[in-house]
Amino acid sequence: MSSRSPAAAASVAAPYAQRRRPVGRRLRRALAPYGLLLPASAVIAAVLAYPLYYLVRLSFQHYGLFQLVRHKGVAIGTANYAQIFHDSLFWHTLVRTVAVTAVCVVLTVVLATLIALLLVELSSWVRLLLTAGLIFVWATPVVVAISIWSWMIDFEFGVANWTLTKLGVGNFNHHDWFANPWSGWGVIISLIVWGAIPFVAITLFAGLTQVSSELLEAAAIDGASRWRAFRDITLPLLKPIYVIVISLSIIWDFQVFNQIWLITNGTPSPDYYMMAVYSYVTSFKISEYGLGSAIAVVMVAIMGLISVFYVRQMVKLGDVE
Amino acid sequence: MKARIFAAVALAAALSVVVSTASGGNKSAGKASASSITVWLMSDAQAGWPAAVANATNQFQSQHPGVDVNVQYQSWDSVLQKFDASIAAGDTPDVIELGNSQTAKYMAAGAFQAIQPKNYPNSSTWLAGLKQSCTYGGKTYCVPYYAGARAVIYRKDLYRSVGFRSPPKTYAKFLAVNSKLMKKYGKNSNFSAFYEPGQNWYVAMSFVADYGGQIATNKGGKWKGTLNSPQGIQALTAFKSMVLKFSRASKTNDEAHPFPSIPFAKSRAASFIGNGWEWPYVFNPKGGAAPASFAKKMGAYPMPSHIKGRFLPTFLGGSDVGIPSQSHNKSLAADWIKAYTGTASETLIAKAGNVPNTTKLLGVNAKIPALAPFAKAANYSWFVPIAANWVNVENANILKTMCTTILTNRKSVAKATADASASITKILNAKS
Repeated sequence: MSSRSPAAAASVAAPYAQRRRPVGRRLRRALAPYGLLLPASAVIAAVLAYPLYYLVRLSFQHYGLFQLVRHKGVAIGTANYAQIFHDSLFWHTLVRTVAVTAVCVVLTVVLATLIALLLVELSSWVRLLLTAGLIFVWATPVVVAISIWSWMIDFEFGVANWTLTKLGVGNFNHHDWFANPWSGWGVIISLIVWGAIPFVAITLFAGLTQVSSELLEAAAIDGASRWRAFRDITLPLLKPIYVIVISLSIIWDFQVFNQIWLITNGTPSPDYYMMAVYSYVTSFKISEYGLGSAIAVVMVAIMGLISVFYVRQMVKLGDVE
Repeated sequence: MKARIFAAVALAAALSVVVSTASGGNKSAGKASASSITVWLMSDAQAGWPAAVANATNQFQSQHPGVDVNVQYQSWDSVLQKFDASIAAGDTPDVIELGNSQTAKYMAAGAFQAIQPKNYPNSSTWLAGLKQSCTYGGKTYCVPYYAGARAVIYRKDLYRSVGFRSPPKTYAKFLAVNSKLMKKYGKNSNFSAFYEPGQNWYVAMSFVADYGGQIATNKGGKWKGTLNSPQGIQALTAFKSMVLKFSRASKTNDEAHPFPSIPFAKSRAASFIGNGWEWPYVFNPKGGAAPASFAKKMGAYPMPSHIKGRFLPTFLGGSDVGIPSQSHNKSLAADWIKAYTGTASETLIAKAGNVPNTTKLLGVNAKIPALAPFAKAANYSWFVPIAANWVNVENANILKTMCTTILTNRKSVAKATADASASITKILNAKS
């Protein structure tokens, strides 16, 4: 990330500036970067800042169906926040969200790293095949992918139970994957990680191709094991990429909604709530739009904190270069 | 540098909001204009009685030539969210069907236009139960559409093979025939003598009503969830033992995933509890696609109560149609509703297996042998608590979750009912 400010831009132009230019021109030059930012900022303000403002405003109102019909909420201060912070369901959901996010991110990054390392070693046609497979997973719309998964694990007619039974793993006939939340979460996490791996694996593979093979060879000659070489050479070189993919994965996994909602036919029990699901149920199922907004605002605040870390890392990386 | 960090944080934060909230805004209501009206009906009409819809539209268009009727079929899972979104956008349909347990919340919130019953066909003979679900604060806000009672749909040939030439008349006999069926056919691990999806809470609550329990009671304006009463616990214990013995349906899915008619048509089930319309649905390509000859093997009977001589109370489910208060075509909407709930369309609706909206037409079903048991079952019925917030209990899946936790042994009946009752108390008393 470059840190070129308007002042720096002006200093680049210094040789020309010796012949002092009219003020208007200098001003225009100084303002140009901001002018260029303006269209994008306007779009962001319209589609992101306003909804965010509205969400925060809603979170301080009592806004149920009655208010929805009249398009007018009742201001109630911080009562919505007080209510969620005293709700054990909220804390359970928060802890679960953090735990599921952590598991998903770790699994995604570890498996994607292994696949990326594998891609480096493969002969070119097998690599092509594997890459194509990854791209297909990535290209599958999430709703379609979830439908396919729910058919596969269907209680009555699913192919997963049939295959596991035929393979002699045990009697999986009429095995209900969601009867027990642990196994249910196993399915959901697999689904999330499965969908998340391609992007991370391909990004890491792209990074790996930039690691000079001479360095690795030199390390091998000096007697370093492959693990040692990976840890002390590859990993530090890939650090910027890891920072990006881990941060993005955290942001994505923290707000998972579709996978849970669709695979439970839109009727998740509280055992399957993540923050996004909890907020959605509160808003759209129970018509407590103010309360649901308060939950969403808390979610945004947490994401904001994560983003601070992410942006700081990005800035640090930028400063080194 | 600081400013940039803040800008980036704001951006990332805003992004997350959009992603987490965007999934809700699903609007598809038609634009208001005098040349068309938009009607939201549940998909049941599309699958079960499209002829009644076509009849109403024809009748309406002979009255209003050139006005298009845009019928959009909705699913029970998402219709209320969509309706809420259309209310928020000020772009509601002109006619909407709601379940009779869903109307209270919307009438209380002022989402419906009040109507004059005397302007609608057969209003003096509307079914009392449905009429009540359209009345709030002394005014009428919707028009009864149809009702349904549930009965056991069963395989006569399988019952006969275990020595039952006629359907069981007592609960003890009901248990006996199912035990015999499980003994004879249960080695096939896909077979259920009585197919009961674990989250089909209507059946669970029928047991509660049969044992004299209630979902919630109202004392001096305060609601209290009462499923953990001794009657409730006794009823759900009996329900659990029956389901675990005779049903191999999923404990975590409801009666629409899959429709019980599908395993029934595939001979995986000897019986299930269904609405009248689920009888013909067995032959529907989406409902099991049984061959026409299968009909000879099918029968229906009202589920017997554990009290001698009575039937298990059935949920008096049904639907109403109303005009959203934000509709711009209220008089056109009223005319379409008059056509759809009039005698001609209601006769077609009744023939599809439903209880029609007027007592004048009750004879239609009684004459069809396959549907008569459903009409009989309606003699004993129960309904959800008449509370404005009731539908939030349904929407929050309180009872489905309770059924699953009971049937999967994750919680005792006492603990599961206590938890559900606490949630119900909280939701019903929430101020709207």
